[in-house]
Amino acid sequence: MKITKTTKLIVALALSALCLSSIETNAQQENYFRAIGSPHKPKVEIAWNRYYSAEGLWDWMKKIAAAHPKLAKIESIGKSFEGRDILTLTITDFSTGKDTDKPAMWIDGNIHSNEIQGGEFSLYVAWYLTEMHADTKFIQELLRDKTFYITPTINPDARNNFFKEPNTANSPRSGMIVLDNDGDGQAGEDMMNDLDGDGHITMMIRRSPTGRFIKDPLDPRRLMAVGPDQVGDYEMLGQEGMDNDGDGEVNEDGIGYYDPNRDWGWNWQPDYIQRGAMRYPFTLPENRAVMEFVMKHPNIAGAQSFHNSGGMILRGPGAEEDLNTYNLEDIRIYDAIGKKGEEMIPGYRYLTVYKDLYSVFGGELDWFYGNRGIFTYTNELMVPYLYFNKEAGRGNQDEQLKVDQLLTFGDAFVDFKEYNHPQFGTVEIGGFKKNFGRAHPGFLLEQDAHRNSAFTIYHAYHTPKLSVMDVKEEDLGGGLKAITATIFNERMMPTHASQDLKYRIERPDYVSITGAKVVAGFVVEDEDMKKFKEQKASPEKMAVENVPGMGAVKVKWIVSSASNYSITVDSAKGGKASWKK
Amino acid sequence: MRKFLLTGLMLGSLICSDSFAQSDYPTLSQVTQRLQKLGSNSAVELKSLTKTEGGKDIYVLKVGTGAKDEKPAIAVVGGVEGFHVLSVELALQFAEKLVAENAAVLEKTTFYIFPNMSPDAYEQYHAALKYERRGNAVPMDHDRDGKMGESGYSDLNGDGMITWMRVEDPMGEWMVYKDDERVLVKADRSKGEAGKYRVFKESKDDDKDGEFAEDLQEGIAFNRSLTYKFPVFEPLAGDIAVSQKESRAMLDYLFEQWNIFAFVTFSPANNLSTPLKYSAGDAKKRVVTSILEKDQAINAMVSGIYNETVTSKAFQQTNQGTDGDFFQWAYFHFARLSFGTPGYWTPEFKGKTNAEANYLAWADSLGWNSFVPWTVVKHPDFPNQKAEVGGIKPFVMANPPFEKVGKIADEHTAFILKLAEMQPKLEFHNLKSESLGNGLTRITVDLFNNSPLPTHSEMGARSRWLRKVRIDVDATKEKLVSGDKIKLLDSLGAYEKATFSWIIRGTGTFNIKAGAPHAGFATQTIKL
Repeated sequence: MKITKTTKLIVALALSALCLSSIETNAQQENYFRAIGSPHKPKVEIAWNRYYSAEGLWDWMKKIAAAHPKLAKIESIGKSFEGRDILTLTITDFSTGKDTDKPAMWIDGNIHSNEIQGGEFSLYVAWYLTEMHADTKFIQELLRDKTFYITPTINPDARNNFFKEPNTANSPRSGMIVLDNDGDGQAGEDMMNDLDGDGHITMMIRRSPTGRFIKDPLDPRRLMAVGPDQVGDYEMLGQEGMDNDGDGEVNEDGIGYYDPNRDWGWNWQPDYIQRGAMRYPFTLPENRAVMEFVMKHPNIAGAQSFHNSGGMILRGPGAEEDLNTYNLEDIRIYDAIGKKGEEMIPGYRYLTVYKDLYSVFGGELDWFYGNRGIFTYTNELMVPYLYFNKEAGRGNQDEQLKVDQLLTFGDAFVDFKEYNHPQFGTVEIGGFKKNFGRAHPGFLLEQDAHRNSAFTIYHAYHTPKLSVMDVKEEDLGGGLKAITATIFNERMMPTHASQDLKYRIERPDYVSITGAKVVAGFVVEDEDMKKFKEQKASPEKMAVENVPGMGAVKVKWIVSSASNYSITVDSAKGGKASWKK
Repeated sequence: MRKFLLTGLMLGSLICSDSFAQSDYPTLSQVTQRLQKLGSNSAVELKSLTKTEGGKDIYVLKVGTGAKDEKPAIAVVGGVEGFHVLSVELALQFAEKLVAENAAVLEKTTFYIFPNMSPDAYEQYHAALKYERRGNAVPMDHDRDGKMGESGYSDLNGDGMITWMRVEDPMGEWMVYKDDERVLVKADRSKGEAGKYRVFKESKDDDKDGEFAEDLQEGIAFNRSLTYKFPVFEPLAGDIAVSQKESRAMLDYLFEQWNIFAFVTFSPANNLSTPLKYSAGDAKKRVVTSILEKDQAINAMVSGIYNETVTSKAFQQTNQGTDGDFFQWAYFHFARLSFGTPGYWTPEFKGKTNAEANYLAWADSLGWNSFVPWTVVKHPDFPNQKAEVGGIKPFVMANPPFEKVGKIADEHTAFILKLAEMQPKLEFHNLKSESLGNGLTRITVDLFNNSPLPTHSEMGARSRWLRKVRIDVDATKEKLVSGDKIKLLDSLGAYEKATFSWIIRGTGTFNIKAGAPHAGFATQTIKL
């Protein structure tokens, strides 16, 4: 006993990246008192008030898989442009069935490389499900019935670039492919320049007798426009940088530019119609890896993609031209889940991309729904409401300055400092740091991660759940018997979205009977009025086109002999269930 | 003895295959041999871009001399449809004639030749069972019932060809055509005509679902799976555009070749006999579905040249693009000038309006045996009805007898060479060098596009996948008193000029370079 414990200790020590002593951790845990809704003594201790590089996320994912081998598996689903693995955690209770036999939820984050917290939020779902499993009946049932495929970053190369290289809050957004943005025949010849060497690309201003701004005498961080009849003494020069190639433009050809969220294969359009598109759908290896995984996992019925920012729970269509793709039946389900989300995540609003945000082609959520019939949301994480529980509007500079004064004590801002610029002479460089504004400050991360995770768990809960019930026999005389079975779906999502039915995206659900000699098989259209639709070929395996959400279908067989028969239902998105006499 | 003779003959024909005139469209291995022979020429780079699911190479020939990436280029594409075997031969013969007889054009123009984009389907022409095939070799569920290719063609009459099948049935929609009893037409029920037949491709209902030949044993068709108007979820198209090895490999290659200004595609779509029409409404929508106005004028001009060069008069050439095809992709999504022609069609004959009747009358007049007479077969799915197999043989309507190909290839080669002569051509004119005193010189020059084509079509100017016209001067920052060191132009129109001037300090030489890969480059040296 003692020996094994020591061995474990050594393994734990070896695993621990931070070299924290496990003895200390154990001792400390004795002093903890449980807070409701959070893992009390997690096997994997993750600090939720900071961000992790791609390797940092993977390290936690590997630790989760190692600590919970019966609940979590890790795999690489492909490689990024720079050759990094795209790592995915599969979370389910493996003791109750294969992951692919259960309805599944796909979760990813960070498709836009600067929208970093999707990585931590996705990781939080995996951590929460595995660490709470032992103590929570709801999660035990959830992981018995469902599978989660969680890929915290689907843009690992540029995630690391955002952290480790100079950037603004909005760059790189694309992945690390460098294109020719100005059409001059050279790619990436005029990248951003971190002139003051602080890792942040901020703003350049210059004293000027003809300037139209002054510095606020009460707050030197703040540049104020002067009135139309007033003279100022500062001018804005724009983003921190230089003209590296001598064409008279500053920072005009950096990383990218392309948009990984214009690369998906539903009503894809080229760059001149949809800025940011690449050559053809799934040009980008990161997206292609996700697409191939989803094609190989037809059990995925729900999906969630984490972006930032603005506090939105978004559904498609992304493009107005796709309005007819989303029909009322499915929108009812989208609305029911999305509106619940508004309650669960204060400050977030449930919206539709094309009319409330912008009208775009080639987005991930449209591919998931339009091409695969998967109910999908994109959450735009972080909303300024979280700062003071007040609606001050997006990108409100006065509020941001106040936040940095009262809540983050100057950590968010690079104060203006003089710099001798080769093209502009003496300038001043300063402004908000790249990790402020769109990214949560540390103290808001855990709460918002929890609330967004709870939303995706609610979404996953409402993927279909099928059972075979109410099996009835009727003697027809002459050695014949009628067997009627009800297939019930006790969740909101149908096994086939209406989009799926329209295009026959996924195979029908099969309801099979074994151990009986089948003479004829029918789908029951109206039991009371005795309306049946016969299936002439292979009646022992009835094809049912859909099992609606919170609804049922009935199947009837006429059999010439049946004793210990069993009935199974096999649905791509609805999982499997069986009944035995 | 007889066997020996036969073997000897076969061997002889193999050895001497070069000296014998080809009598039929080449097999894939014959195509490869001819490509390899071309590849031995110093102006030709032969490259296999990938292998298809069926294990066939997708070849490209890059033909050019000197700085070939800096010369405007034309891409010639064949095998866009697998059943259109003529197109492969036209692309091949163009390459052969280019290298052997017209190498001088390579001084100014580079060529990319993709002889066969559908080798998996092309092979069906020479297979034991011949039919007009479009799809490659990937397994596919065309009817989306969860099973792959379970209900394809059946050779019911055992003639080695898939033709048609008609079943006598008063509920059928088809009737015999009044002018030619071999031909079936749809009954016009609004005129009180009754149908007599149901008509299907020659097949059985293998999966007993009541449908015939609805899930073919072929995969994705190249010419139905590109991104422009991609027919998602439809047979031969699949779920995702550009999903196939051959389409991805070709596009990845094309996106790296910046010098292509025009495509000539041999496929059923035709905008050369008659140019595309312009629709202001469709051109102005966010998703553009009409050729743009200025590009329509270019199309009309090039169409005029085609009709002067190619003698065959257009008849029933109504295909100006189909969903997911290559010819439209090259313009609408790749933003290059795109010209397409099938190369061959049945000419109008004795005023016949029905395409099949017209073809048969013409074929009869030439003594071609291209019809399988309707013959009764025992059909398992129609035990109590009269079922007959027959119809026009596969391939013959889209592809002429091989002996006709030589003339078609000559005329189309001449057309492509005329198109090359029209390519954008940048020149410097009216160079002026004025001394301003104190060591300053003002240089003024016109950059002129001496071509009936603009450097960028209206569509091309919108695309990031064409480079802008870039004007560079090699003066240092210290020497350049005014004027741009680097200047970018979105487009220079047909016979249009742009004027530039710089003020330079000091002496020495001063070089100007202007151009873009697809428009060519011009240079000018000035002694100060």
